[in-house]
Amino acid sequence: MAVHQLIPSFVAGDATGQAALHLQLLLRRMGHFAELYAGEVGSGLESLAQPVSALRPAPEDLVLYHHGIASPLSGHLMHLPCRRGLVFHNISPARFYAGTPLAEALTSGRAQLAAMAPFVEVAIGVSDFNSAELRTAGYHNVHTVPLFIEPERFAESQADPAMRRRLEGPGPTVLSVSRVAPHKRFEDLLALHAQLVRLRPEARLLLVGGYEPGSRYFKSLRRTADGLPGVHFLGRLNHAELVAAYRSAQVFVSMSEHEGFGVPLIEAMAAELPVLAFGAAAVPETLGGAGIAFDEKRFAFLAELVMEMSESPDLRRRLLKGQARRLAHFSAENSQQALEKALGEAPPPRARPHRSPRKPKRPRVAIVVQRYGQVTGGAERHAQQLAEHLAPHWELTLLTTCAKNHLSWENVFPPGPDRVDGLQVLRFPVTRTRNIRPFNALSNTVFNRPNERLREEHWVAEQGPLSPGLLAHLEKARDAYDGFLFFTYLYAPTVWGVPMVADRALLVPTAHDEPPIRFGVYSDVFERPRALMCNTPEEISLIQRLYPNHARARVVGVGVDRPSAAPQRFREKHGVHRPYLLYVGRLEPGKGIPELLSHYRVLRQRYADAPDLVLAGEAHMELSGEGVRYVGRIDEQDKHDALAGALAVVVPSRFESLSLLTLEAFAQSTPVLVNGHSEVLVGQVERSGAGQAYKDLDSFITGLREVGNQRGPMGRKGLAYAKKYSWAKVVAAYQEEMDRILEEKRR
Amino acid sequence: MKLLGRDIPARELIARIEERLRLRGLPTSEPADVPEEGVEPRVDPLSFNLQALEEHTDPTRPLPLHTHRGGAGQLVVVAKWAFRKTCQVLINETLSRQRVFNGHVRDSYAQLSAELLRLRRELEELKAAKAPAAAPPEPPVVPVRPRRPRAK
Repeated sequence: MAVHQLIPSFVAGDATGQAALHLQLLLRRMGHFAELYAGEVGSGLESLAQPVSALRPAPEDLVLYHHGIASPLSGHLMHLPCRRGLVFHNISPARFYAGTPLAEALTSGRAQLAAMAPFVEVAIGVSDFNSAELRTAGYHNVHTVPLFIEPERFAESQADPAMRRRLEGPGPTVLSVSRVAPHKRFEDLLALHAQLVRLRPEARLLLVGGYEPGSRYFKSLRRTADGLPGVHFLGRLNHAELVAAYRSAQVFVSMSEHEGFGVPLIEAMAAELPVLAFGAAAVPETLGGAGIAFDEKRFAFLAELVMEMSESPDLRRRLLKGQARRLAHFSAENSQQALEKALGEAPPPRARPHRSPRKPKRPRVAIVVQRYGQVTGGAERHAQQLAEHLAPHWELTLLTTCAKNHLSWENVFPPGPDRVDGLQVLRFPVTRTRNIRPFNALSNTVFNRPNERLREEHWVAEQGPLSPGLLAHLEKARDAYDGFLFFTYLYAPTVWGVPMVADRALLVPTAHDEPPIRFGVYSDVFERPRALMCNTPEEISLIQRLYPNHARARVVGVGVDRPSAAPQRFREKHGVHRPYLLYVGRLEPGKGIPELLSHYRVLRQRYADAPDLVLAGEAHMELSGEGVRYVGRIDEQDKHDALAGALAVVVPSRFESLSLLTLEAFAQSTPVLVNGHSEVLVGQVERSGAGQAYKDLDSFITGLREVGNQRGPMGRKGLAYAKKYSWAKVVAAYQEEMDRILEEKRR
Repeated sequence: MKLLGRDIPARELIARIEERLRLRGLPTSEPADVPEEGVEPRVDPLSFNLQALEEHTDPTRPLPLHTHRGGAGQLVVVAKWAFRKTCQVLINETLSRQRVFNGHVRDSYAQLSAELLRLRRELEELKAAKAPAAAPPEPPVVPVRPRRPRAK
């Protein structure tokens, strides 16, 4: 069954939205198709959450509604024609908001909570405290599923350096993180600070969280704070700045008088910051004996205690050790176990092992790839070649989208069953096209900096292709397949699909060193499949460096076909009569084409006898210049003819997991000139001895001269290297891995 | 004063701090400000909704003035206040039919919810009558019009 979530508001920086994303991750790991629907979707987040009006659950589906303050969605839930569940995040008591419009909305939220009870089959509290409130409100099937955090996102390396410098200063520094609201008792934090500055005049109080500058409450806090030194209202911070704030303080203090869970408490634990908190509502439960909870707000006493916590190394060590122990409790694994129990999916106790009758002769395998058929792209071509060679051994189905263009993901192929070169293909529509400019702008805001999960998931969703039908098929038809083979780590179907079927999934990552590979959202992709089928030793080293807990990885690569070629045929067909350098592939900035054109322009200016530059493939940019010959897309025979006749093949991309073009050039005894910034390409050239690498204009020119002079011997070395890449070996490796999966399935 | 934490020598810590407070001439015990224990009570939806409808039936009655913005937000509050002061006749005239409609909604809800309460009670009585004689009768499930929690 699909398990969707319904949230009143899905906006950046909202704790409920983060909880929903975390639950979505767990639900996918449990094999469910899981989408988000929201009453209000924050601007730009439409790729992650859909409007409530789009929710059309099947009768057997479960919809989990996140409830807090009054929302019309509670009424919507009661009328949904499917199974219904509730996730309760608690509601601030109305007594703290008397005389404000919020008071009624809070009480109304509690009334809605009670009203929904008879209509809900499973109720989830994020703490035992919340679960107790659910029972009081009339719920029966109540379970506690604690929230979790990703501790690695609060490491020192994730802190914003500028904010870290800005917050440098004398101590002790006390930090509190929450929106400025009456029940959070910021006045008590100021009272504590007033006592602290009597002990240490240089003490500072950092207050992180959104506030309403016009509210009476904030204005009264501001007046008090103005009379105290060292108070800083930092407002809402982005993730990296928040980590910097945690990492800049000596003690985290909470004076809140009502918490349904208290996420900042565990965030502080993850940031190795001792916690001191008033033991109200769920706070003692969340602390679980770690940190220090107190039961009376004696500010002079607490100020002395803060001094002890800041300055006593022994006390800090003991606190941090205990907090680290407690933090382990809030892991995704523990939350998943609790969620499985809540949804009645706890794995049954293992009965005696029994073996299913026999291993299938031809395993049913689905290859999941973002595009398939008449499309240009290295990974897609790789998938196609592999599918063709595996087809005699496996019963294959290609699960893919209707997209042809990887930049826009526009639906071109009709949805449903299709056949490509005799192979069965099942296509699913893409629900959102991509506009590459805003996407590139988004990339600039998230690359090479620490992010919270929401921003990374948002990037993946915008990267696409978004094809909910494909994910729904993975859930519904998972038992129709013995195994799954996913292609490319980068795209949404892989990121969200691999966790759903990880126990029988192989991944061909085609990973290379590019900014998004550092996103934490990719950890499931590299860590959860049964094996990673890599292309080169450099690719494995990269994965090992970034994901030390990665799944078992092996170098498999591809086979190289060596069809006969006639260079003259290509020359005549395209009117190429001079020696030429050749590139075949996508012609776009990401492939290093602008740099190649720039080097070539200078080469042409300096040397009258410079070879022509022949470019073939789908162009997504302007291609012009003296000696530059664009021949458009060419067919396979044309390609091999062109490769055989080239002076050298140039591979200008910095980001390659394996250059098929390089291997195909070697197979035609043609040397290569490759981008020296790519470890993979340099590795291929060094191992083969059949080319040169360049990093700048000078090395481009000297490399070309070397390759031109040594074309014959280098070409022979290239051919010898290409012969090692046999399809028989590749197919055997895939069969071996699939056999392991089948063997485990039989146990 | 209690300090809770598995990893701290709580008694020793308290004694040390209390001693420091005594040396500073500060009182070592102050009146405790202990919050209410336990979870929030259930808010009965039928009663709450009826009360909320009663409270808001008259659309010509203004809500409290409020803004979360600083600066210009204050000007908006003043402008709203002035509008209310000077245009009440217009407001009344514009919303008169809405007031009548809201009254009907309130009365309909009151009648339907009372009917629902009566039916629930009857159902409980029938269930109790069907149950074995030994079982004690269950108390009525729904309280009669409990008050909304009063703001402090």
